[in-house]
Amino acid sequence: MLDIEISQFDDEVVVRLFGEVASGTAAKFEAALQSLLERGHRSLILDLAQLEFINGAGLQMIIDCAGRCGIMGGSLTVRSPSLKLRRLLAIAGAGSLIRVEHSEAVAARLGPEQPPGQPGFSHRSTKGAPTPSEQFPMGLPADRRLVDSALRLVVTLATATVGGADGVSVSLRRHGVLSTVAASDDTISEMDADQYATGEGPCVDASIQGRWFHAEALSSETRWPDFTPRARGLGINAILSSPLVAQNKPVGALNIYSRSEGAFAPDDQELASVFAHQASNILTSACAGASSAEVAVRFASALRGREIVAQAQGVLMERFRLDEATAFSTLLRSSVWTDETMRQLAEGIVRSTVSVRAAGAPLLGGDSHG
Amino acid sequence: MAEPVASVLDRFRMEADLTHGELWLRYFELGGMSTGFELEAILYGALAASPHDHDVIAHALNERFVELGGNHPVPYADEGNVSSNE
Repeated sequence: MLDIEISQFDDEVVVRLFGEVASGTAAKFEAALQSLLERGHRSLILDLAQLEFINGAGLQMIIDCAGRCGIMGGSLTVRSPSLKLRRLLAIAGAGSLIRVEHSEAVAARLGPEQPPGQPGFSHRSTKGAPTPSEQFPMGLPADRRLVDSALRLVVTLATATVGGADGVSVSLRRHGVLSTVAASDDTISEMDADQYATGEGPCVDASIQGRWFHAEALSSETRWPDFTPRARGLGINAILSSPLVAQNKPVGALNIYSRSEGAFAPDDQELASVFAHQASNILTSACAGASSAEVAVRFASALRGREIVAQAQGVLMERFRLDEATAFSTLLRSSVWTDETMRQLAEGIVRSTVSVRAAGAPLLGGDSHG
Repeated sequence: MAEPVASVLDRFRMEADLTHGELWLRYFELGGMSTGFELEAILYGALAASPHDHDVIAHALNERFVELGGNHPVPYADEGNVSSNE
Protein backbone atom coordinates (compact mmCIF):
# COMPACT_ATOMS: atom_id res chain seq x y z
CA MET A 1 0.00 0.00 0.00
CA LEU A 2 1.11 3.53 -0.72
CA ASP A 3 -0.50 6.75 0.43
CA ILE A 4 0.69 10.04 -0.95
CA GLU A 5 -0.03 13.34 0.75
CA ILE A 6 0.78 16.54 -1.11
CA SER A 7 0.93 19.96 0.50
CA GLN A 8 2.16 23.29 -0.77
CA PHE A 9 3.94 26.11 1.02
CA ASP A 10 4.67 29.09 -1.23
CA ASP A 11 6.68 27.71 -4.15
CA GLU A 12 7.63 24.48 -2.43
CA VAL A 13 5.59 21.35 -2.70
CA VAL A 14 6.00 18.65 -0.06
CA VAL A 15 5.18 15.09 -1.10
CA ARG A 16 4.82 12.70 1.86
CA LEU A 17 4.95 8.99 1.22
CA PHE A 18 3.34 6.49 3.58
CA GLY A 19 3.91 2.76 3.03
CA GLU A 20 5.72 1.09 0.14
CA VAL A 21 6.78 2.04 -3.37
CA ALA A 22 6.78 -1.45 -4.91
CA SER A 23 5.70 -3.05 -8.17
CA GLY A 24 1.99 -2.50 -7.49
CA THR A 25 2.34 1.08 -6.24
CA ALA A 26 5.25 2.55 -8.20
CA ALA A 27 2.94 3.69 -11.00
CA LYS A 28 0.92 5.71 -8.48
CA PHE A 29 4.09 7.38 -7.23
CA GLU A 30 5.23 8.13 -10.76
CA ALA A 31 1.83 9.55 -11.70
CA ALA A 32 1.92 11.86 -8.67
CA LEU A 33 5.40 13.16 -9.57
CA GLN A 34 4.48 13.44 -13.22
CA SER A 35 1.38 15.49 -12.50
CA LEU A 36 3.32 17.89 -10.24
CA LEU A 37 6.00 18.39 -12.90
CA GLU A 38 3.38 18.89 -15.59
CA ARG A 39 1.75 21.57 -13.47
CA GLY A 40 5.07 23.41 -13.50
CA HIS A 41 6.24 22.67 -9.97
CA ARG A 42 10.01 22.46 -10.03
CA SER A 43 10.97 22.59 -6.35
CA LEU A 44 9.81 19.43 -4.68
CA ILE A 45 10.46 18.01 -1.25
CA LEU A 46 9.99 14.27 -0.89
CA ASP A 47 9.35 13.42 2.75
CA LEU A 48 10.27 9.78 3.24
CA ALA A 49 10.04 9.58 7.02
CA GLN A 50 7.06 7.20 6.78
CA LEU A 51 8.30 5.25 3.76
CA GLU A 52 8.77 1.57 4.56
CA PHE A 53 10.22 0.30 1.28
CA ILE A 54 11.18 1.58 -2.17
CA ASN A 55 12.15 -0.60 -5.14
CA GLY A 56 14.64 0.12 -7.93
CA ALA A 57 11.95 1.60 -10.15
CA GLY A 58 10.97 4.02 -7.38
CA LEU A 59 14.58 5.04 -6.88
CA GLN A 60 14.88 5.62 -10.59
CA MET A 61 11.76 7.81 -10.51
CA ILE A 62 13.33 9.96 -7.80
CA ILE A 63 16.52 10.37 -9.83
CA ASP A 64 14.55 11.03 -13.00
CA CYS A 65 12.39 13.60 -11.23
CA ALA A 66 15.46 15.29 -9.76
CA GLY A 67 16.94 15.56 -13.25
CA ARG A 68 13.76 17.12 -14.60
CA CYS A 69 13.52 19.56 -11.68
CA GLY A 70 17.15 20.50 -12.34
CA ILE A 71 16.54 21.07 -16.04
CA MET A 72 13.60 23.36 -15.16
CA GLY A 73 15.86 25.35 -12.83
CA GLY A 74 14.45 23.89 -9.62
CA SER A 75 15.57 21.13 -7.31
CA LEU A 76 14.46 17.98 -5.57
CA THR A 77 15.03 17.57 -1.85
CA VAL A 78 14.73 14.20 -0.19
CA ARG A 79 13.81 14.50 3.48
CA SER A 80 14.54 11.79 6.08
CA PRO A 81 15.66 8.98 3.76
CA SER A 82 16.71 5.66 5.30
CA LEU A 83 20.41 4.91 5.54
CA LYS A 84 20.17 2.46 2.62
CA LEU A 85 18.35 4.91 0.39
CA ARG A 86 20.78 7.66 1.38
CA ARG A 87 23.64 5.43 0.25
CA LEU A 88 21.99 4.65 -3.04
CA LEU A 89 21.23 8.30 -3.65
CA ALA A 90 24.77 9.21 -2.69
CA ILE A 91 26.22 6.85 -5.26
CA ALA A 92 23.75 8.11 -7.82
CA GLY A 93 24.95 11.68 -7.41
CA ALA A 94 22.99 13.13 -4.51
CA GLY A 95 25.74 15.74 -4.27
CA SER A 96 24.69 17.46 -7.44
CA LEU A 97 21.24 16.22 -8.44
CA ILE A 98 19.43 15.61 -5.17
CA ARG A 99 19.52 17.50 -1.88
CA VAL A 100 19.22 15.38 1.23
CA GLU A 101 17.63 16.71 4.38
CA HIS A 102 17.81 14.63 7.53
CA SER A 103 15.28 14.58 10.31
CA GLU A 104 16.57 16.47 13.36
CA ALA A 105 17.42 13.31 15.29
CA VAL A 106 19.43 11.82 12.42
CA ALA A 107 21.15 15.12 11.68
CA ALA A 108 22.32 15.30 15.30
CA ARG A 109 23.75 11.78 15.09
CA LEU A 110 25.47 12.38 11.76
CA GLY A 111 27.20 15.56 12.80
CA PRO A 112 28.11 18.19 10.22
CA GLU A 113 27.08 17.58 6.61
CA GLN A 114 29.66 16.05 4.29
CA PRO A 115 31.21 18.46 1.83
CA PRO A 116 29.55 18.53 -1.60
CA GLY A 117 30.59 15.73 -3.91
CA GLN A 118 31.48 13.47 -0.98
CA PRO A 119 27.99 12.57 0.07
CA GLY A 120 26.96 10.26 2.83
CA PHE A 121 28.90 7.12 3.46
CA SER A 122 31.68 7.55 0.96
CA HIS A 123 34.22 8.93 3.42
CA ARG A 124 36.21 5.73 3.43
CA SER A 125 35.67 4.61 -0.11
CA THR A 126 37.46 7.66 -1.48
CA LYS A 127 40.63 6.81 0.41
CA GLY A 128 43.45 7.26 -2.07
CA ALA A 129 40.96 8.13 -4.79
CA PRO A 130 40.59 11.51 -6.41
CA THR A 131 38.08 14.01 -5.11
CA PRO A 132 35.62 15.31 -7.70
CA SER A 133 37.53 18.59 -7.81
CA GLU A 134 40.61 16.92 -9.23
CA GLN A 135 41.37 16.81 -12.90
CA PHE A 136 39.05 15.35 -15.43
CA PRO A 137 40.48 12.57 -17.62
CA MET A 138 42.96 13.97 -20.08
CA GLY A 139 42.59 17.37 -18.41
CA LEU A 140 39.44 18.25 -20.33
CA PRO A 141 37.46 21.33 -19.44
CA ALA A 142 34.17 19.63 -18.68
CA ASP A 143 32.02 19.97 -15.60
CA ARG A 144 33.71 17.24 -13.59
CA ARG A 145 31.12 17.07 -10.87
CA LEU A 146 28.38 16.39 -13.39
CA VAL A 147 30.49 13.80 -15.15
CA ASP A 148 31.37 12.10 -11.90
CA SER A 149 27.76 12.09 -10.74
CA ALA A 150 26.65 10.73 -14.11
CA LEU A 151 29.22 7.93 -13.76
CA ARG A 152 28.01 7.25 -10.23
CA LEU A 153 24.54 6.91 -11.68
CA VAL A 154 25.87 4.35 -14.16
CA VAL A 155 27.45 2.46 -11.24
CA THR A 156 24.15 2.45 -9.33
CA LEU A 157 22.18 1.27 -12.32
CA ALA A 158 24.72 -1.40 -13.20
CA THR A 159 24.77 -2.68 -9.61
CA ALA A 160 21.00 -2.92 -9.59
CA THR A 161 20.62 -4.40 -13.06
CA VAL A 162 23.51 -6.72 -13.91
CA GLY A 163 22.81 -10.19 -12.53
CA GLY A 164 25.57 -11.55 -10.30
CA ALA A 165 26.98 -8.09 -9.56
CA ASP A 166 27.98 -7.68 -5.92
CA GLY A 167 29.84 -4.46 -6.59
CA VAL A 168 30.61 -2.08 -9.45
CA SER A 169 33.19 0.64 -9.99
CA VAL A 170 34.40 3.02 -12.65
CA SER A 171 38.16 3.59 -13.02
CA LEU A 172 39.50 6.48 -15.06
CA ARG A 173 42.99 7.31 -16.13
CA ARG A 174 43.90 10.87 -15.29
CA HIS A 175 47.28 12.05 -16.54
CA GLY A 176 48.45 8.47 -16.80
CA VAL A 177 47.29 7.47 -13.32
CA LEU A 178 44.32 5.16 -12.84
CA SER A 179 41.93 5.99 -10.04
CA THR A 180 38.41 5.11 -8.96
CA VAL A 181 35.77 7.74 -9.70
CA ALA A 182 32.72 5.83 -8.50
CA ALA A 183 32.37 2.65 -6.48
CA SER A 184 29.39 0.91 -4.97
CA ASP A 185 31.17 0.27 -1.66
CA ASP A 186 34.48 0.27 0.20
CA THR A 187 35.47 -3.32 -0.65
CA ILE A 188 35.14 -2.49 -4.31
CA SER A 189 37.29 0.64 -3.94
CA GLU A 190 39.87 -1.47 -2.16
CA MET A 191 39.76 -4.03 -4.95
CA ASP A 192 40.47 -1.33 -7.52
CA ALA A 193 43.23 0.14 -5.36
CA ASP A 194 44.87 -3.31 -5.12
CA GLN A 195 45.00 -3.46 -8.90
CA TYR A 196 46.53 0.02 -9.17
CA ALA A 197 49.06 -0.94 -6.48
CA THR A 198 50.11 -4.22 -8.11
CA GLY A 199 49.88 -2.76 -11.61
CA GLU A 200 47.87 -5.75 -12.76
CA GLY A 201 44.33 -7.07 -12.89
CA PRO A 202 41.40 -6.99 -15.29
CA CYS A 203 40.62 -3.35 -14.56
CA VAL A 204 44.18 -2.24 -15.34
CA ASP A 205 44.34 -4.37 -18.50
CA ALA A 206 40.94 -3.25 -19.80
CA SER A 207 41.87 0.40 -19.19
CA ILE A 208 45.12 0.09 -21.08
CA GLN A 209 44.27 -2.36 -23.83
CA GLY A 210 40.75 -1.12 -24.50
CA ARG A 211 39.18 -4.56 -24.55
CA TRP A 212 37.19 -6.83 -22.24
CA PHE A 213 38.69 -8.92 -19.47
CA HIS A 214 36.55 -11.56 -17.84
CA ALA A 215 37.89 -13.57 -14.91
CA GLU A 216 35.23 -16.24 -14.56
CA ALA A 217 36.82 -18.01 -11.58
CA LEU A 218 39.65 -16.44 -9.62
CA SER A 219 40.45 -19.85 -8.06
CA SER A 220 41.91 -20.95 -11.41
CA GLU A 221 43.07 -17.54 -12.65
CA THR A 222 46.74 -17.27 -13.68
CA ARG A 223 46.98 -13.93 -15.49
CA TRP A 224 47.38 -11.71 -12.42
CA PRO A 225 49.43 -13.63 -9.81
CA ASP A 226 49.94 -10.67 -7.44
CA PHE A 227 46.43 -9.27 -7.55
CA THR A 228 44.35 -12.48 -7.59
CA PRO A 229 45.14 -13.63 -4.01
CA ARG A 230 44.29 -10.16 -2.70
CA ALA A 231 40.93 -10.21 -4.45
CA ARG A 232 40.13 -13.67 -3.13
CA GLY A 233 41.15 -12.47 0.32
CA LEU A 234 38.38 -9.86 0.04
CA GLY A 235 35.86 -12.53 -0.95
CA ILE A 236 35.74 -11.76 -4.67
CA ASN A 237 35.64 -14.72 -7.06
CA ALA A 238 34.67 -13.33 -10.47
CA ILE A 239 35.42 -10.05 -12.25
CA LEU A 240 34.24 -8.51 -15.49
CA SER A 241 36.05 -5.38 -16.68
CA SER A 242 34.81 -3.55 -19.77
CA PRO A 243 36.84 -0.77 -21.34
CA LEU A 244 35.65 2.84 -21.31
CA VAL A 245 36.46 4.72 -24.45
CA ALA A 246 36.36 8.48 -24.99
CA GLN A 247 37.08 9.95 -28.37
CA ASN A 248 38.23 6.53 -29.57
CA LYS A 249 40.88 6.12 -26.87
CA PRO A 250 40.70 3.74 -23.91
CA VAL A 251 40.49 5.91 -20.78
CA GLY A 252 39.30 3.55 -18.06
CA ALA A 253 37.13 0.58 -17.19
CA LEU A 254 33.76 -0.36 -15.78
CA ASN A 255 34.44 -3.14 -13.28
CA ILE A 256 31.86 -5.58 -12.02
CA TYR A 257 32.77 -7.84 -9.13
CA SER A 258 31.02 -10.92 -7.79
CA ARG A 259 31.47 -13.16 -4.78
CA SER A 260 30.33 -16.15 -6.87
CA GLU A 261 32.42 -17.93 -9.48
CA GLY A 262 30.88 -17.95 -12.95
CA ALA A 263 28.44 -15.27 -11.82
CA PHE A 264 28.13 -13.46 -15.13
CA ALA A 265 25.82 -15.15 -17.64
CA PRO A 266 26.00 -14.09 -21.32
CA ASP A 267 23.06 -11.70 -20.80
CA ASP A 268 24.86 -10.06 -17.88
CA GLN A 269 27.99 -9.68 -19.97
CA GLU A 270 25.94 -7.99 -22.68
CA LEU A 271 24.32 -5.70 -20.16
CA ALA A 272 27.74 -4.84 -18.73
CA SER A 273 28.94 -3.82 -22.15
CA VAL A 274 25.81 -1.71 -22.57
CA PHE A 275 26.66 0.15 -19.36
CA ALA A 276 30.30 0.52 -20.38
CA HIS A 277 29.16 1.91 -23.69
CA GLN A 278 26.90 4.37 -21.90
CA ALA A 279 29.68 5.47 -19.56
CA SER A 280 31.86 5.94 -22.65
CA ASN A 281 29.13 8.10 -24.20
CA ILE A 282 29.06 10.26 -21.10
CA LEU A 283 32.83 10.68 -21.23
CA THR A 284 32.81 11.38 -24.96
CA SER A 285 30.03 13.92 -24.65
CA ALA A 286 31.90 15.52 -21.77
CA CYS A 287 34.95 15.74 -24.02
CA ALA A 288 32.84 17.24 -26.77
CA GLY A 289 31.34 19.76 -24.34
CA ALA A 290 27.81 18.37 -24.50
CA SER A 291 25.84 18.32 -21.30
CA SER A 292 26.64 15.05 -19.60
CA ALA A 293 23.82 15.74 -17.13
CA GLU A 294 21.38 15.71 -20.02
CA VAL A 295 22.88 12.47 -21.31
CA ALA A 296 22.57 10.95 -17.84
CA VAL A 297 18.96 12.08 -17.45
CA ARG A 298 18.04 10.81 -20.91
CA PHE A 299 19.67 7.49 -20.14
CA ALA A 300 17.87 7.25 -16.80
CA SER A 301 14.60 7.87 -18.59
CA ALA A 302 15.38 5.21 -21.21
CA LEU A 303 16.25 2.75 -18.48
CA ARG A 304 12.99 3.52 -16.70
CA GLY A 305 11.08 3.01 -19.96
CA ARG A 306 12.86 -0.27 -20.50
CA GLU A 307 11.86 -1.45 -17.05
CA ILE A 308 8.21 -0.50 -17.66
CA VAL A 309 8.18 -2.34 -21.00
CA ALA A 310 9.69 -5.40 -19.30
CA GLN A 311 7.11 -5.21 -16.49
CA ALA A 312 4.27 -4.97 -19.01
CA GLN A 313 5.70 -7.95 -20.88
CA GLY A 314 5.73 -9.86 -17.60
CA VAL A 315 2.10 -8.97 -16.94
CA LEU A 316 1.07 -10.18 -20.41
CA MET A 317 3.07 -13.39 -19.99
CA GLU A 318 1.39 -14.13 -16.71
CA ARG A 319 -2.14 -13.14 -17.74
CA PHE A 320 -2.22 -14.90 -21.09
CA ARG A 321 0.47 -17.52 -20.51
CA LEU A 322 2.56 -16.13 -23.34
CA ASP A 323 6.27 -16.60 -23.90
CA GLU A 324 8.53 -13.57 -23.87
CA ALA A 325 8.71 -13.14 -27.65
CA THR A 326 4.93 -13.38 -28.08
CA ALA A 327 4.36 -10.91 -25.26
CA PHE A 328 6.73 -8.50 -26.98
CA SER A 329 5.07 -8.86 -30.38
CA THR A 330 1.66 -8.39 -28.74
CA LEU A 331 2.87 -5.11 -27.31
CA LEU A 332 4.43 -4.16 -30.63
CA ARG A 333 1.25 -4.85 -32.62
CA SER A 334 -0.88 -2.97 -30.10
CA SER A 335 1.48 -0.04 -30.37
CA VAL A 336 1.18 -0.01 -34.18
CA TRP A 337 -2.63 -0.25 -34.05
CA THR A 338 -3.13 2.43 -31.45
CA ASP A 339 -0.32 4.83 -32.40
CA GLU A 340 0.60 4.89 -28.73
CA THR A 341 4.26 4.38 -27.98
CA MET A 342 5.21 1.06 -26.49
CA ARG A 343 6.12 2.85 -23.27
CA GLN A 344 2.68 4.52 -23.02
CA LEU A 345 0.99 1.19 -23.62
CA ALA A 346 3.25 -0.53 -21.11
CA GLU A 347 2.50 2.14 -18.51
CA GLY A 348 -1.22 1.54 -19.08
CA ILE A 349 -0.78 -2.20 -18.64
CA VAL A 350 1.28 -1.82 -15.47
CA ARG A 351 -1.34 0.61 -14.08
CA SER A 352 -4.06 -1.87 -14.99
CA THR A 353 -2.54 -4.45 -12.66
CA VAL A 354 -3.88 -2.25 -9.88
CA SER A 355 -7.10 -1.01 -11.47
CA VAL A 356 -8.09 -4.27 -13.13
CA ARG A 357 -8.68 -5.87 -9.75
CA ALA A 358 -10.68 -2.89 -8.57
CA ALA A 359 -12.70 -2.03 -11.65
CA GLY A 360 -12.33 -4.75 -14.27
CA ALA A 361 -10.62 -2.34 -16.68
CA PRO A 362 -9.42 -3.72 -20.02
CA LEU A 363 -5.85 -4.95 -20.02
CA LEU A 364 -4.75 -3.47 -23.31
CA GLY A 365 -5.38 -0.05 -24.73
CA GLY A 366 -5.96 1.73 -21.41
CA ASP A 367 -8.43 4.58 -21.64
CA SER A 368 -7.83 5.82 -25.18
CA HIS A 369 -8.11 4.85 -28.82
CA GLY A 370 -11.04 2.83 -30.04
CA MET B 1 19.84 -5.77 -57.60
CA ALA B 2 18.24 -5.72 -54.17
CA GLU B 3 19.97 -3.50 -51.69
CA PRO B 4 21.00 -5.12 -48.40
CA VAL B 5 18.25 -4.64 -45.83
CA ALA B 6 20.60 -3.23 -43.24
CA SER B 7 21.46 -0.19 -45.28
CA VAL B 8 17.73 0.36 -45.76
CA LEU B 9 17.42 0.54 -41.97
CA ASP B 10 20.18 3.12 -41.82
CA ARG B 11 18.45 5.16 -44.54
CA PHE B 12 15.28 5.13 -42.42
CA ARG B 13 17.39 6.31 -39.48
CA MET B 14 18.68 9.27 -41.48
CA GLU B 15 15.20 10.05 -42.75
CA ALA B 16 13.96 10.00 -39.16
CA ASP B 17 16.71 12.50 -38.30
CA LEU B 18 18.12 10.38 -35.49
CA THR B 19 21.79 10.06 -34.60
CA HIS B 20 23.10 6.58 -33.97
CA GLY B 21 23.25 7.42 -30.26
CA GLU B 22 19.65 8.61 -30.11
CA LEU B 23 18.40 5.57 -32.01
CA TRP B 24 20.35 3.34 -29.64
CA LEU B 25 18.71 4.97 -26.59
CA ARG B 26 15.26 4.42 -28.12
CA TYR B 27 16.17 0.84 -29.00
CA PHE B 28 17.55 0.26 -25.49
CA GLU B 29 14.35 1.71 -23.99
CA LEU B 30 12.32 -0.92 -25.85
CA GLY B 31 14.46 -3.69 -24.39
CA GLY B 32 17.17 -3.97 -27.07
CA MET B 33 20.25 -5.80 -25.80
CA SER B 34 22.91 -4.82 -28.36
CA THR B 35 25.47 -2.12 -27.62
CA GLY B 36 25.65 1.05 -29.68
CA PHE B 37 28.57 -0.37 -31.62
CA GLU B 38 26.66 -3.54 -32.44
CA LEU B 39 23.62 -1.52 -33.44
CA GLU B 40 25.77 0.53 -35.81
CA ALA B 41 27.22 -2.67 -37.21
CA ILE B 42 23.68 -3.94 -37.84
CA LEU B 43 22.71 -0.68 -39.51
CA TYR B 44 25.80 -0.77 -41.72
CA GLY B 45 25.15 -4.40 -42.58
CA ALA B 46 28.25 -5.77 -40.88
CA LEU B 47 26.22 -7.76 -38.35
CA ALA B 48 23.00 -9.72 -38.91
CA ALA B 49 20.06 -8.79 -36.69
CA SER B 50 17.83 -11.52 -35.29
CA PRO B 51 14.17 -11.06 -36.31
CA HIS B 52 13.46 -9.88 -32.76
CA ASP B 53 16.28 -7.36 -32.82
CA HIS B 54 15.16 -6.19 -36.23
CA ASP B 55 11.65 -5.59 -34.87
CA VAL B 56 12.95 -3.61 -31.90
CA ILE B 57 15.02 -1.39 -34.20
CA ALA B 58 12.14 -1.05 -36.68
CA HIS B 59 9.73 -0.12 -33.91
CA ALA B 60 12.11 2.44 -32.39
CA LEU B 61 12.28 4.06 -35.83
CA ASN B 62 8.52 3.80 -36.39
CA GLU B 63 7.76 5.49 -33.06
CA ARG B 64 9.97 8.33 -34.25
CA PHE B 65 8.10 8.51 -37.57
CA VAL B 66 4.79 8.67 -35.68
CA GLU B 67 6.18 11.60 -33.66
CA LEU B 68 6.96 13.30 -36.97
CA GLY B 69 3.38 12.78 -38.14
CA GLY B 70 4.07 9.70 -40.26
CA ASN B 71 2.75 6.19 -40.15
CA HIS B 72 4.88 3.08 -39.60
CA PRO B 73 7.03 2.97 -42.74
CA VAL B 74 9.70 0.58 -41.48
CA PRO B 75 8.65 -3.04 -42.16
CA TYR B 76 8.75 -5.60 -39.37
CA ALA B 77 10.40 -9.01 -39.63
CA ASP B 78 7.15 -10.86 -40.41
CA GLU B 79 6.34 -8.46 -43.23
CA GLY B 80 8.79 -10.27 -45.47
CA ASN B 81 12.26 -9.75 -46.87
CA VAL B 82 13.66 -8.09 -43.77
CA SER B 83 14.86 -10.86 -41.53
CA SER B 84 18.56 -10.46 -42.09
CA ASN B 85 21.20 -8.51 -43.93
CA GLU B 86 21.77 -11.05 -46.65
